Amino acid sequence: MSFWEVNLTIMQGLVTTAELFFLTLLFALPLGLIICLGSMSKITPIRLIVKTIVWIVRGSPLMLQILIVYYGPGLLFNLPLLPRFTAAVVTFVINYACYFSEIYRGGIQSIPKGQYEAGQVLGMTRSQVFFKVVLLQLVKRVIPPMGNELITLVKDTALVRVIAVYEVIWMGESFIKKGMIWPLFYTAVFYLAFNGILTLLLNRVEKKLDYFH
Amino acid sequence: MSVLEVQDIHKSFGKSEILSGISFSLDEGKVLSIIGPSGSGKTTLLRCITQLERAEAGKITVDGDTVFDAAETATLSKAEKRRRQLYFGLVFQSFNLFPQYNVLENVTLAMKLQAKEQPDFKEKKDEIFAAIDENARSLIDSVGLSDKLANYPCELSGGQQQRVAIARALAMKPRILCFDEPTSALDPELTNEVLAVIKGLVKLNMTMIIVTHEMRFAKEVSDRIIFMEGGNICAEGSSDEIFVKSENPRLKEFLGSFQS
Ligand SMILES: Nc1ncnc2c1ncn2[C@@H]1O[C@H](COP(=O)(O)OP(=O)(O)O)[C@@H](O)[C@H]1O
Ligand SMILES: [Mg+2]
Repeated sequence: MSFWEVNLTIMQGLVTTAELFFLTLLFALPLGLIICLGSMSKITPIRLIVKTIVWIVRGSPLMLQILIVYYGPGLLFNLPLLPRFTAAVVTFVINYACYFSEIYRGGIQSIPKGQYEAGQVLGMTRSQVFFKVVLLQLVKRVIPPMGNELITLVKDTALVRVIAVYEVIWMGESFIKKGMIWPLFYTAVFYLAFNGILTLLLNRVEKKLDYFH
Repeated sequence: MSVLEVQDIHKSFGKSEILSGISFSLDEGKVLSIIGPSGSGKTTLLRCITQLERAEAGKITVDGDTVFDAAETATLSKAEKRRRQLYFGLVFQSFNLFPQYNVLENVTLAMKLQAKEQPDFKEKKDEIFAAIDENARSLIDSVGLSDKLANYPCELSGGQQQRVAIARALAMKPRILCFDEPTSALDPELTNEVLAVIKGLVKLNMTMIIVTHEMRFAKEVSDRIIFMEGGNICAEGSSDEIFVKSENPRLKEFLGSFQS
């Protein structure tokens, strides 16, 4: 069993991990915005329901949520199980959308009211004010906390091994039965590389938006 | 000829009444200053006039055209709201420039967005935008910032930012330009450059409402002055009547607090 083979095997896990990461981003970023709007809704029942959901999702362990989404429908309603990877994506999207919604909310609330009012007084419509005035300021404010969340997301993908999705750690661990323990620890390199690239990308975006305050 | 008519404006926040029936009128090309202690409702009045706040009672007309009527129940179309909005320009105490746009873009943004709705926009886009830029350049020049066109607000002093905000408001060609303590957020040495720009507008016969604590300035530029206290107009008159002849004890006390 060569070093090369270990790398190849873990790489297969990395593909799964990366897929989970990107699919979560793809769906959780917009869903988070919807949840955010719900949590700021003027209609009290909507606001309360959304805030309760966010509280439950953020207040309970992600690992438990993965198990519930995977086994829950079968145990409770006798429904067929979702494919493992699908269950993982669904759980991550819901979980991360709730975290993102709080980040968006912080961002939106930190935009001074005067920005909206200046736009209104100049005859802009509400949507023009949002897209032309507020949005870029919002992106700028949201990127640093979002960056933290994304790094956590990369590491959280390791949790899906509880429903036997073959991600990086699972693959690393698979060498133990062949008598090799080091590949498990070696997986750290892959997470570090993933997060390293992510951090560089985020830094670049932050730099791009550095021209205004 | 009176341009602006404000009739019996009432405004409350929760249970406290902030404006208890404000009425006045303003003639073409005249300057009205509003003075009064902090908390007397000056900002709220300006916000009701400029449609940022909805009064509970009262009526406001510009050139005889209703821009606000509390008795009006129908919801207005976006276009109608904007048409009414654009009678007024407002310069904020805190400037409120758009940080991600440079000086020129700050002044042209709203005009360009509006131009997109013209029926012939597609064919004439370049011409229309060139005209908007041209107009903005001359406004920025008139506030003395033609060397800052490409600078961002964070690169400007407070006084410069406020001058950009004035140019931005002028770009929409408002019928009435309102100022809410335009120099209160500035260091003392920067107030004069902003006041000089406003004086320039006085010379051009711009119709203006100015909320200010700069008493010497108000005395110099105002055709009429309103002294507000506790949500009421407590005294009203020409510059002379307010600053020299008035025997109103509340007003005298207020003005006295500025002598040092
Ligand atoms: N959005 C608001 N909600 C509640 N109270 C307000 C609001 N805006 C202003 N007020 C109150 O209205 C009063 C008048 O405020 P303002 O119009 O800002 O006075 P001024 O500009 O003369 O200092 C103050 O007591 C202030 O606390
Ligand atoms: Mg005020």
